[in-house]
Amino acid sequence: MSDYREPTYAEVNRDILRTLLETGSRYWIVFGITATIAIVCFYIPWIYQWHVGLGASGQSRSDVWGTYLSNFIFWIGLSHSGTLLSAVLHITRSGWRKAIYRSAEAMTLFSLMTAAFFVLIHLGRVWFVHWSVPVPNQMGLWPNFRSPLLFDVMAITTYLTASSIFIYMGSVPDYAAVRDASTGLRRRLYTIFSFGWRGTAREWHTLGWAYTFFAVFVIPLAVSVHSIVSWDFAMSLVPGLHHTIFAPYFVCGAIYSGTAGIVTVMYLLRRCLNLERYIREIHLDNLGKLLIALSLIWAYINILELFTGWYSGSSFQYEALTYKLFGYYAPLYWEMILFCAFIPQLIFWKKIRSSWNIMFVISILINIGMLTERFLIVSTSLPRKFLPNAFGFYFPSLVEISITIGSFALFATLFLIFIKWTPCVSIYEVKETLKPLRRVE
Amino acid sequence: MAKNIMALFQYQDDFLNAARKLKASGFDRISLMTPIPMHDAEKIAGLDKSPVRRFSLIGAILGGLSGFAMATACALVFILPTGGRAIITFPPFLVISYEMTILIGVLSTLLGFHIVSGLPAWRDKPYRMETSIDRFSLVVGFDPDDDPALAEKIMRDAGAEKIIQVEKPE
Repeated sequence: MSDYREPTYAEVNRDILRTLLETGSRYWIVFGITATIAIVCFYIPWIYQWHVGLGASGQSRSDVWGTYLSNFIFWIGLSHSGTLLSAVLHITRSGWRKAIYRSAEAMTLFSLMTAAFFVLIHLGRVWFVHWSVPVPNQMGLWPNFRSPLLFDVMAITTYLTASSIFIYMGSVPDYAAVRDASTGLRRRLYTIFSFGWRGTAREWHTLGWAYTFFAVFVIPLAVSVHSIVSWDFAMSLVPGLHHTIFAPYFVCGAIYSGTAGIVTVMYLLRRCLNLERYIREIHLDNLGKLLIALSLIWAYINILELFTGWYSGSSFQYEALTYKLFGYYAPLYWEMILFCAFIPQLIFWKKIRSSWNIMFVISILINIGMLTERFLIVSTSLPRKFLPNAFGFYFPSLVEISITIGSFALFATLFLIFIKWTPCVSIYEVKETLKPLRRVE
Repeated sequence: MAKNIMALFQYQDDFLNAARKLKASGFDRISLMTPIPMHDAEKIAGLDKSPVRRFSLIGAILGGLSGFAMATACALVFILPTGGRAIITFPPFLVISYEMTILIGVLSTLLGFHIVSGLPAWRDKPYRMETSIDRFSLVVGFDPDDDPALAEKIMRDAGAEKIIQVEKPE
């Protein structure tokens, strides 16, 4: 943009802290709506399910995994780009990361929390969750670590812990900035949150090293998490799930969905919090290029999945693929292909790539496609395994549909709390991208 | 006599020059505070490779070993024979080790950060809130044979915007 004027350091503090310290009625209205939907559509049906059991869902004997599992994969997937992208761009010292990474990491954290809820919901009797943790219990039961489900417990616990630490540590200098700009209780709280940060050379130096190590740990972790989620499916012998391509397929899909999620979140932050000066066209352009690359890889893996299924010569695999392509849920399959493989190709055009409104719509369509993909993985395979006489049919119940809708409201509520708790754009890292404060140029 | 002198600078080159001159004049007890990370300031403070990396390495190794040990212990305490396979099976247990390597590695890096940086440090120390906005500050502490007037002159000559006497210990 030709009329762009670089902000000063003081303006960066003022503009970003304003989003946190000034709260208008519009925020409370939106917050009230999302929180109410989360309670009514998410928590109340879940509590109802506690009372009546998992029969409240559409799951049955042949299809023991339904939307709870597909939503779990979707939310885990959505979590993928935030921390992963932030870590990769930190290691490669990409400057454009600095304005967008904080919110992307928050997206990771809250998507993971939402995903973890789905594990608990799917569990049914949630009060037995401690059985998956290696602690002594009265029955002498210990977890079986040969099961991919236990890999999942380890992977998600690690990812949630690492992501929380990653975002918190990166925010410590900004908490100090909030502390310095506030008074009263807020000041006392942020004194605690910032650990008494003063910005000494030692503090910056140690944070820089620690942060780099966090990034180094997080990159292989993020790849492993969705690989492990894919093994929940691929390690079974169920036709349609038993593919070696599943791990890269899931990882690619997760990053794809997460990157689209970042575009959606950036659009909303930019519009609602007036952050146009910080979240700029360059960010959209780079995210757009990333989306093109990911859509091509994703489309290639989908073609490969069809090819290997056909080439395997297994009649069961062939039947599973035929059902996916031409069966009851075929319209959803082709919708997924349209939204995730064809429509994103429009981003090749610079004009589309630089339009916030069009990119916002495309990012939403991609995530609708990705949600469908996860639903199809579950609903077209498990109910139709080997013997036709045992074939079933899965369709989500009202409780499942309600909880699915409620999960989006839950995510939005958590994110709205976040933007009033942590500066959603990193203050000190944005300053790093500005012209240095030198007397001699 | 004040225990410390604090100077605020508007420009980072003035700030770095002052810090270098103070070091050259024998003032060793200096603290440099900046609104953004600055490699030059870290160099002046004599900081090179951080010991945090040792915490990361040791944590990662311990995590990997403890992950494998945990999976093995659970398999031995609660034996589940499956299709004649070994009770202690490497491929799945290595996945657990891998996750634990990262988990404990991250936690020990966090511990390392707190130990090396000295944070949390909630007690009152010399600090000006402008430092979190757009000012660079320098705190000089003195030994009995140091000359505070000389330090003040060096900082003023380098372009310090404000010089303050602070009683709080660094």
